Amino acid sequence: MAIIAGGTITVSQYVACMEKKDKYAHISSRISGASAKAGHMMRDQQFGTPDITEYTDAVIVGGGAAGLTAARHLHHSGFTNFRLLELEPHTGGNASSGSNQYSAYPLGAHYLPIPNTDNQPLLDLLAEAGILTGYDPNGLPIYNETDLCYDPEERLYIRNRWQEGLVPQLGISHQTQDEIRRFLELMEQLRKAKGSDNRYAFDIPVANSSNDALYRELDQLTMEEWLTQQHYHSEELRWYLDYCCRDDYGAGISTISAWAGIHYFASRKGKAANADSSQLLTWPQGNGRLVQHLQQFSRDKTQTGCVVYKITPETKQVLVDYYDINTHQIKRLVAKACIMATPQFITQRLIPGGQYDHAFVYSPWLVANITLDQIPESSGYQLCWDNVIYQGKSLGYVNAQQQRLTQQLPAKQVITYYLPLDHLDPVASRKYAIALSPQHWVKLIADDLEAVHPGITELMHDIDITVWGHGMIRPHKGFITGDVRAAAQKSPFANVFYAHSDLSGISIFEEAFYHGNKAAGALTDYCG
Amino acid sequence: MEILLLLSVFVIATCGLIYELVAGTLASYLLGDSVTQFSTIIGAYLFSMGIGAYFSRFFKKDLLSWFIQLEILVGLIGGISSAALFLLFEHAASFRLVLYLLVGLTGTLVGLELPLLMNILKDRYEFKDLVSRVFTFDYIGALAASIVFPLLLVPYLGLIRTSCFFGILNVAVAIVVLVKFKREIKWARYLKSKAVACIIVLVGLFIWADKIMTFAESQAFRDPVIYSHSSSYQRIVLTHSRLDLRLYLNGNLQFSSADEYRYHEALIHPAMLYSPKRSQVLILGGGDGMAARELLKYPEVEQVTLVDLDPAMTKLFRQNSMLASLNDSSLLSPRVHVINADAFQWLKENEKHFDVVIVDFPDPGNYAVGKLYTTAFYRKLRHALTDSSVVVIQSTSPYVAPKAFWCVNATLQECNYQTIPYHTYVPSFGEWGYVMASPGPLAKHHDSLPAGLRYFATGTFSQMCDFTADMQQRKVLANHLNNQILVQYFEDEWGKYQE
Ligand SMILES: Cc1cc2nc3c(=O)[nH]c(=O)nc-3n(C[C@H](O)[C@H](O)[C@H](O)COP(=O)(O)OP(=O)(O)OC[C@H]3O[C@@H](n4cnc5c(N)ncnc54)[C@H](O)[C@@H]3O)c2cc1C
Repeated sequence: MAIIAGGTITVSQYVACMEKKDKYAHISSRISGASAKAGHMMRDQQFGTPDITEYTDAVIVGGGAAGLTAARHLHHSGFTNFRLLELEPHTGGNASSGSNQYSAYPLGAHYLPIPNTDNQPLLDLLAEAGILTGYDPNGLPIYNETDLCYDPEERLYIRNRWQEGLVPQLGISHQTQDEIRRFLELMEQLRKAKGSDNRYAFDIPVANSSNDALYRELDQLTMEEWLTQQHYHSEELRWYLDYCCRDDYGAGISTISAWAGIHYFASRKGKAANADSSQLLTWPQGNGRLVQHLQQFSRDKTQTGCVVYKITPETKQVLVDYYDINTHQIKRLVAKACIMATPQFITQRLIPGGQYDHAFVYSPWLVANITLDQIPESSGYQLCWDNVIYQGKSLGYVNAQQQRLTQQLPAKQVITYYLPLDHLDPVASRKYAIALSPQHWVKLIADDLEAVHPGITELMHDIDITVWGHGMIRPHKGFITGDVRAAAQKSPFANVFYAHSDLSGISIFEEAFYHGNKAAGALTDYCG
Repeated sequence: MEILLLLSVFVIATCGLIYELVAGTLASYLLGDSVTQFSTIIGAYLFSMGIGAYFSRFFKKDLLSWFIQLEILVGLIGGISSAALFLLFEHAASFRLVLYLLVGLTGTLVGLELPLLMNILKDRYEFKDLVSRVFTFDYIGALAASIVFPLLLVPYLGLIRTSCFFGILNVAVAIVVLVKFKREIKWARYLKSKAVACIIVLVGLFIWADKIMTFAESQAFRDPVIYSHSSSYQRIVLTHSRLDLRLYLNGNLQFSSADEYRYHEALIHPAMLYSPKRSQVLILGGGDGMAARELLKYPEVEQVTLVDLDPAMTKLFRQNSMLASLNDSSLLSPRVHVINADAFQWLKENEKHFDVVIVDFPDPGNYAVGKLYTTAFYRKLRHALTDSSVVVIQSTSPYVAPKAFWCVNATLQECNYQTIPYHTYVPSFGEWGYVMASPGPLAKHHDSLPAGLRYFATGTFSQMCDFTADMQQRKVLANHLNNQILVQYFEDEWGKYQE
């Protein structure tokens, strides 16, 4: 007996010892993300004259959702002689996805809310992709059931328990309940509200929203200031709205304008025959599903690993100079016109006389795809698609397995952890994020999740970390209605067209889609 | 010194009786019919002890060493006996044979113990004294065993740990004797290491007994648990009582052998009467082979394709002779083709059409299983059907959970199936519901049933389609992936019922 007891003691001492050494050692990790290197190369390097010159009718610079949408538009217009240049090894931009042997997962954008029924171009895209299968007799879209987010959708970890839904409910006072009700009722009203120009006060795309000063004035306040003005004081409600702003804009209510904060709620007027307006479309690979559909229209015209570093518009043509990372060659495309589907902080560096206006602020983000043995059970409501932590640093995680139909789960599971890097100002956060090693991130992420799932660190195997230095445009106070954004909509050159979601001041797929179509439409008009 | 040997008599006697009791209990757990099991086990055990006693005469020299050897062996075999029996239950082709072999072996070894000990003690006591003392301790030991076994051991330790514990005691006797009589013993070193090794094995088993069978679990069921196994998909538990054998998946009753014929006849035969063609049949779920058994009663059925997620289930019901006798070895029939796959996934890839489809999934008690009851699933299923195929779906209790039941019906209707909901009474389940469905009109195409049915008859069906007021159709929503309303109905209704 003594021998055996002695044995176990040594074993447990050994284990304790290992634990002290590094309880994260078993988790493999790596950082990927927008190639900062390629970006800096574009910014800092002096390139000589191009080695090769080629000719085409149009060039799309940037293969994010906006660039791919523009390519689709050109394709559908019968405009086939074009090229798409993308600096990353793959197109997709912020809507890219990855996968491992267990699951596909998003590297950034994750879902598309049920679209507004007057957004016909978007509905057509979804129909084309087989996501929208038809319309019911009332004209309401019918969505493919397997593409809608499966129930149960959302839960919130609050007061040491999971509750159903994200609006705090557990242990809140009557006063708070009243405030929440009052707020949601107001949002319901604003959803229907129209301005004096008979446009919706809040609409998607943002460009369709009313110009009525009554609503535009809301952009002159932060969401926080507006809440105080409207006597919303409850901590839980404020947390919830802060969460919503961080989720959509990468920054909280103290930064985001009231117009944008309200837009989050009031712009969504989606309807469907087989889903509530609050529901959403999602896939294991997130919006990578939409990207994969869009990619087919430019597959043979896409060049990846190509850093565009200079655009030279001339009267009859545009010169697009780029560095091909694959062949280490400097090349030039000569085209009749080009579309800049790149964010403004890049676009302005590429065009002659361009000035990047720092009113365009971008929120840095961290997205981590965690592969683990299982998602531990914990008290309260069961595992959902979206699992949010009340007053958490991060936004919690999304469960990639939710959209599986099979009973059997893969041997390991993948969850996607979202962390808006808004604890410092964007420039400082970006520096901090880039400086941090994967091991540091692992510790940070694991410790954060330990708070809701004790023991989860041990279950983790791998963390695939993506840092988005310029993840989302930030609709801070005054940006949406400001002059800078208005001026940026149109390029100063007749044959250069802008298309990026940041022009909207709000970073969502619908806006990227809108700008991609708009720019491609203008280009085909220009080329005749 | 002598008192020590007498104490070992006490321990030995206790251990001996405990092994006997463990074997008897186990046999009645695993094979049912406790009276028969107990008396045959006791008989066999006592008889083997006699054999042991007979053989004791051949031990003439080094008695103490032999005694120690014996104690270690008894401890090891007795100690692991119940764990071994539980584990072998699933695999052994003839479990009974294994059981009696083990009982025989333990009995023989135990039978050797006392005669050997008496031989050792015979020079230290007067014969009169010796007999009286040894038997006194023997009987006291037996009494102790018979009292602690049902009152303390089975409820608190469980069978596996009980036998381990007494195995350890046996070996401990060996060690004590070894130490005290060091000088008189041959091969002391060798024996000591052997004893220690056995103790380690037994202690290990004692600690890991939970892995073999969670004791807590055996308490959660009404009847003794005879088999439990966590496959990658579910926890399979079999319980056995005097009356019946029950299968539980994740704690939910799947059938009781006493009345499963009612459930399965009602599941299969109405659909067979209503389907014009009946040569190709698909079963989704139903890994216990009972549904297949009913189908094989029709000579027209050329092939039954059975798709069940869990290979552990189909293997158990194919290999274990007792379980295979319940399904008439249907899973071994050349007409039955078993596929272990996920039904949703399998349907996606399947290109065949089936005349009849039996959908026998677990109740929609969680969101994962709930997906198998959605419009998405029934639409996918449509691709495996012809216009006249007939489907039947087990649909929980229309009495306990009317909303859930009618929700299955509504979900099928939303996918453009014609339906006939019906129900029957299964004593172990209560009032139970099914929905028959077809893409085309549903009409009766056959009148005759196979011979040998115990419950279902052609006349019975119209009654089954009649729903009394307390089970009447409710206004409910259809079950979609994005509302999973069925799971909510099911939880609400069953939750209330169980309170
Ligand atoms: C973490 C995160 C989560 C998000 N979640 C959602 C969500 O759930 N739903 C949603 O609707 N939106 C979400 N978004 C917003 C998302 O950004 C937009 O929906 C949309 O994908 C933006 O597309 P875009 O084409 O406008 O921009 P980008 O995706 O930024 O595309 C720009 C492209 O240009 C390329 N590029 C840049 N410079 C050059 C150069 N010099 N040469 C060549 N190519 C260049 C880039 O590599 C990139 O591929 C999320 C964003 C982030 C960061």
